[in-house]
Amino acid sequence: MYSAQITRANPTCIILLIDQSGSMSDPFSGDSYRKKSEFVAEAVNHTLHDLVIRCTKTEEVRNYYYVSVIGYGRAVGSCFSGPLTARNLIPIAEVADYPLQVKSSYKRVSDGAGSWVEIPVRYPVWIHPSADGKTPMCEALAKVKEILERWLKEHPRGFPPTILHLTDGESSDGDPEEIGRQIMSLGTDDGATLLFNCHISSRKSAKIEYPTEETSLPDGFARSLFEISSRLPSNFLAAAAQLGVNAVEGSRGFVFNGDPSSIVQFYEIGTSLTGMTPYRWMDDTRTEPA
Amino acid sequence: MSSAKQSVIWELQTRQLLLPKLDHDVSECEDVIALNPETRRFAVADGATEAFDARNWAERLARRWVQNDATLTSEEFCKWVATEGRELHDSWNGLNLSWYSEEKARNGSFAAFVGVEFDLETESPLWKAIALGDACLLHCHRGALLKSLPVWRSDSFNSTPVLVPSDPAIHETAMQSVIIDSGSCTTGDVLLLMSDAAAAWCLQCFERNELDPDEFMRIKQDDKLSQFFDAERLAGRIRNDDLAILRIEIKQRRTS
Repeated sequence: MYSAQITRANPTCIILLIDQSGSMSDPFSGDSYRKKSEFVAEAVNHTLHDLVIRCTKTEEVRNYYYVSVIGYGRAVGSCFSGPLTARNLIPIAEVADYPLQVKSSYKRVSDGAGSWVEIPVRYPVWIHPSADGKTPMCEALAKVKEILERWLKEHPRGFPPTILHLTDGESSDGDPEEIGRQIMSLGTDDGATLLFNCHISSRKSAKIEYPTEETSLPDGFARSLFEISSRLPSNFLAAAAQLGVNAVEGSRGFVFNGDPSSIVQFYEIGTSLTGMTPYRWMDDTRTEPA
Repeated sequence: MSSAKQSVIWELQTRQLLLPKLDHDVSECEDVIALNPETRRFAVADGATEAFDARNWAERLARRWVQNDATLTSEEFCKWVATEGRELHDSWNGLNLSWYSEEKARNGSFAAFVGVEFDLETESPLWKAIALGDACLLHCHRGALLKSLPVWRSDSFNSTPVLVPSDPAIHETAMQSVIIDSGSCTTGDVLLLMSDAAAAWCLQCFERNELDPDEFMRIKQDDKLSQFFDAERLAGRIRNDDLAILRIEIKQRRTS
């Protein structure tokens, strides 16, 4: 299971589900100047950038992935705009061709002789921060289920879909456990759909990352999210180990009270799929105005 | 390809097989086989799928290495790779690249490489090989494996081998992993140069003592040989990857 080769003939789908409720405009604890929504938008843009680069073959982007970014807050729907507006599952080659803008940045890399040099990098932007409205998590998960059902009808074989869900608060439209379980019951001949959840917090609380059991969790909401978080398959565990994250056999793809570094690692591990090397971007990138 | 020594002439007989991944076009194959009877050099290179211009880099490494007659040392190899890498990067200048190709090109290209050269001017033919990455040389004698390099166990293949980089800025670290080895052979010996998926399969055959993998290279018709390897990949016994196999058999002919 979770070993199917991802090819153009047999692509997989990745859905990034992000909470865009009003509370996402609050800053992280101890970080008074940066809103959660801004950091999440940046992390999503970096993740899309990484997925495009992985599929780039010289001058062509191969459609190994079909990608969706769904936001929920005042409304539930695709976060893409411009030529990609309102589209739910988009071949990665089209994602590559239609960023809203491409900024210039610098990246520090080793010069191979013990020093660091800065090299220019291109930093495309597909989504902008948004934080407004309540937290219709159940409606958002229902939307994900609808997208998945359509995808799986056409792609019953191959690497199963991956959903990376990021939220900062409790659902405002009911308990997400039932719809979450329904999503996890869908799958391909290579395994069940992978649903991973990352809860981030504005409060200074101890974070819990990739637990194996729910006894350490503080409340019913955390336990609900734990219940609808898939176990990390071995390839993802290997990616976690490369990042120095403490995840073991039986660990759920679940973070509670996460901080900015949790978000970065969550996306890196969640998109590592078939043992691909996680893409590191947070510590060594300095962004300059476009 | 022969050389007289007293009344014995040593000959090298070759057979090659190059297959793209299943469901892929041959133009997408990033494995390359090169041979040169003049220099008696043979090579297999495997461009890294995720790298920029990987096929070109693999082709440049394999085809130019077999033309080269520089001494086979780590230092010479390192200098030669740096020159080739610079030329490759120069060839990208002036290309009008999209943001993603530009990003990809910035990291350079990567390929696994294994090359072998023969000295047939001795009583027993000698081979000397150089390898970096997971393309392998296997030296077989009467159906037994005598030596395998740089990987010698099927479970030692992983997704992140140190490869030959085109970017001279990272040569120094990579070149520390270069393997150079040598051996002598006798008549009937077979040297197999293989890209990683084929080498892993071959080593597993030897480890399990199930079959002599070299037997299959004796299938006479090329299309039957391809069908055999396609079936092995469909059955999951060989990973679905490009396959490059160059078989070199050492033969002896006596002259009157």
